[in-house]
Amino acid sequence: MIAANGFQALFPLFAAVVPAESVCEPMRLNDLGNLLQVISTFLGLSLFALGGGNTLITEYHHISVDQYCWLTPTQFADLYALAEAAPGPSSMLVGLLGMGAAWREGPFWALVSAYGAELAILLPSTLLMVVACLRWNKMRNSPWRIAFERGLGPITLGILFAVGYKILVLADKNPVALAISLVVCVLMLRSRLSPLWFMAIAGLLGGLGMVSR
Amino acid sequence: MTEINPNPNPNPNLSARIVPNPTLRQLFLGMLQVAISAFGGGLSAWSQRIVVEQRHWMTNEQFLAGLTVARLFPGPNQINMAVYIGASFRGLSGALVALAGMLLVPFTLLMMVGLLYFSFHELPLLDRILAGVVAAAAGMALSMGFRILDTYWRDPMALLLATATFLAMAVAHWRLVPVVLVIGPLAMAWYWPRHPASPTPEEHS
Repeated sequence: MIAANGFQALFPLFAAVVPAESVCEPMRLNDLGNLLQVISTFLGLSLFALGGGNTLITEYHHISVDQYCWLTPTQFADLYALAEAAPGPSSMLVGLLGMGAAWREGPFWALVSAYGAELAILLPSTLLMVVACLRWNKMRNSPWRIAFERGLGPITLGILFAVGYKILVLADKNPVALAISLVVCVLMLRSRLSPLWFMAIAGLLGGLGMVSR
Repeated sequence: MTEINPNPNPNPNLSARIVPNPTLRQLFLGMLQVAISAFGGGLSAWSQRIVVEQRHWMTNEQFLAGLTVARLFPGPNQINMAVYIGASFRGLSGALVALAGMLLVPFTLLMMVGLLYFSFHELPLLDRILAGVVAAAAGMALSMGFRILDTYWRDPMALLLATATFLAMAVAHWRLVPVVLVIGPLAMAWYWPRHPASPTPEEHS
């Protein structure tokens, strides 16, 4: 703990953004109300999933930790890591967030909420993608699509750095964790090793008690 | 929607390797195969290998064109690609079937992981292991931006827009939607094509 405080004193920018755990009081809703809130939240976000969907992660964090108190910051970081480690598209994180939103109501509602959340985040973008596929030849030379593609690329770049920074602040509460993150970041860019190796080795280091939080 | 191929290829020599119009069942099984093959990672590569090289549903050019669309539109790239493949052959029902094939197994597994996590995450050993895994995952998250940085390195306006976006979100704590709605139109205006009539090459994939 002393090490963590010293670390935050050295990096005040980190300390300023580290959120306090569980100060947030969850809203009282009945089961169905909770489910509808989860579904409408993710339906509304679907079309903002620029550049592959990972751009939504800071928004997911805001919604599930700060706004609705579905999860603690630590739980959010855990679920993000699990979704990255599990096989399949990492955007399935939304299913885990939905599960967390209804966990207090028991496993049944947690699963219903998880499926509802995942379907909600995928439905609008899927429908748009079907239209895009069928109309692509008309759209491909439109100035709108050219401006959209060129213009939103740099914004995606900025968002991805904001996402990386956000997760780093959430995850790394001490120098060892930060060092692991930076090494993994470099290896992700410079090697062709599967990221599963990095997670397995870091998990081992954590299990041995070398990464506290 | 009929499952009989309505358009048998008149010239088998020209594109004998392309088997057009997979059925809904084939689309589902194909995407299921992609999802299961990619358990160790590399979803995009497996998708290409199975759709183009093994099943010959598309030429490589068609596949790459689809990937361009999938990356352009909102939504996870690989899920959009599955939707694109399904929709190209069987419209909306093809898209939904391909999506289901892609997600069925990994999502079911992830739900089991989630149930285990919420049941047991307070165990000290699990919490310690997760502390390590989370640090690695944070490194992966950080690498996402660097990975596409090269594309924009020589474009000062792109770097300015990216920096403005980063500062708005990370420092000023703007939410994503206002950031996109404010900076997006400015960026689109700046990059509006000067000669809209000229056809565009398939630039950055």
